[in-house]
Amino acid sequence: MAATPIPLEARGIKKRFGDHEVLKGLSLQAHKGDVITLIGASGSGKSTFLRCMNLLEQPDEGDLIVHGEAINFRTTQRGREPANWKQVERIRAKLSMVFQNFNLWAHMTLLENVIEAPVHVLGKPRTEAIAQARDLLDRVGLLDRADYYPTQMSGGQQQRGAIARALAMDPEVMLFDEPTSALDPELVGDVLKVMRGLADEGRTMILVTHEIAFARDVSSQVIYLHQGVIEESGTPAEVLDNPRSERLRQFLAPKH
Amino acid sequence: MINFQGYGPRLLEGALVTVELALLSLVVAVVLGLLTASAKLSPNRLIHGIGTLYTTLIRGVPDLVLMLLLFYGGQIGINMVTDQLYYAFDIDIFINVNAFLSGVITIGLIFGAYMGETFRGAFQAVDEGQMEAARAYGMNPLMAFRRVRFPQMMRHALPGIGNNWMVLLKTTALVSIIGLSDMVRVAAEATKATHEPFLFMIPVAAIYLLIATLSEWGFARLAKRYSTGFGESSEWNN
Repeated sequence: MAATPIPLEARGIKKRFGDHEVLKGLSLQAHKGDVITLIGASGSGKSTFLRCMNLLEQPDEGDLIVHGEAINFRTTQRGREPANWKQVERIRAKLSMVFQNFNLWAHMTLLENVIEAPVHVLGKPRTEAIAQARDLLDRVGLLDRADYYPTQMSGGQQQRGAIARALAMDPEVMLFDEPTSALDPELVGDVLKVMRGLADEGRTMILVTHEIAFARDVSSQVIYLHQGVIEESGTPAEVLDNPRSERLRQFLAPKH
Repeated sequence: MINFQGYGPRLLEGALVTVELALLSLVVAVVLGLLTASAKLSPNRLIHGIGTLYTTLIRGVPDLVLMLLLFYGGQIGINMVTDQLYYAFDIDIFINVNAFLSGVITIGLIFGAYMGETFRGAFQAVDEGQMEAARAYGMNPLMAFRRVRFPQMMRHALPGIGNNWMVLLKTTALVSIIGLSDMVRVAAEATKATHEPFLFMIPVAAIYLLIATLSEWGFARLAKRYSTGFGESSEWNN
């Protein structure tokens, strides 16, 4: 039997905004079941790195390989861009993203949000998508909110709904971009609980977060970024409990 | 029953022409408006320039001048092209500029520019995160527009569209100048022949008013539909 291709690999990703080089050649490999956490001060490039993985930002250099399929790029006078947007759309459908500001579609109910991409992007039959969506909403504790609009829900509920939307794609890898940063402190716990459940069932996840305690609990690998460079990388025990650099020690030190 | 002195059927036909003309022009204007708004928001400078040229030109020239220019000038322009085709390739065709079609095109062109401004503002009012989520879940640009941007922008665009529609409806009266038998032209002819202005002009005014009232009701319903999900958040944080 052939080896299963690894879900996501990034090699030598570079990105600049104008004269400022935000990512200076970053690589990572997400194997099946890995939970990789990106930490670092704001401006370290962690969110940009994550957004390069599903091409919401276009890397200026480097390769992306999703489930064994490399994304094709071409260079035009505007810069480097994907050579085939159909390929990008197909690959994005395998990488569900959970956003800091939830970004549930405001004109749809929660249930409609969850079935939208499965029905319209993946072409799943509607009745099947609805049944699956109900299971997922039940799982994140929001079955009774299925017919609510996002504005009628709290931030924590919206984010759990957004996680249900992500799961409905049956994604190869889930990308979380600071999923709890926009939440009131008392709502963070519910969202983390759902995410912990996903990690426990072996979902492949890459997340950007400031929740160090959570990162320690669930991560298989922690990557510390500083000014667009991977400064430290390893298990939570290596990176979070025995930081080598003074800068990471400072970063991890209690702020108050 | 009012005695329209034999003009009744023609007046009704004229009313139908007015409605058809207005609705078809609206379709042209909405399509052009969407294209114009996209052009004006395009990072491509040439496309942006074309959009700006179009709105500046149209909004700076009186509607009547544009209509006469297109109706008479359009025929001459087409004749010049067909003449060239005949001399150069021995292709003999004759295209007659139909008054109804040139009415639709002119009014569509004029209101496309105004719609463009309405749609541009509405495009920008949609939160970028909403479109980003659409892209992130694998939607292609057309699907993202149809499923996310369009339904969300309509809430912002509808007041402007409604306003433009009311002005457009009344602008259709101008086509009587280029010989189209809309209800205004029929009523004007009837008035000349019978010296009964009230008999013909008041019903015409009433029909415009009726269409306008129906439209307001229609727009109110649309506004309700497109505000779903953005309305009163009575159950916030429960």
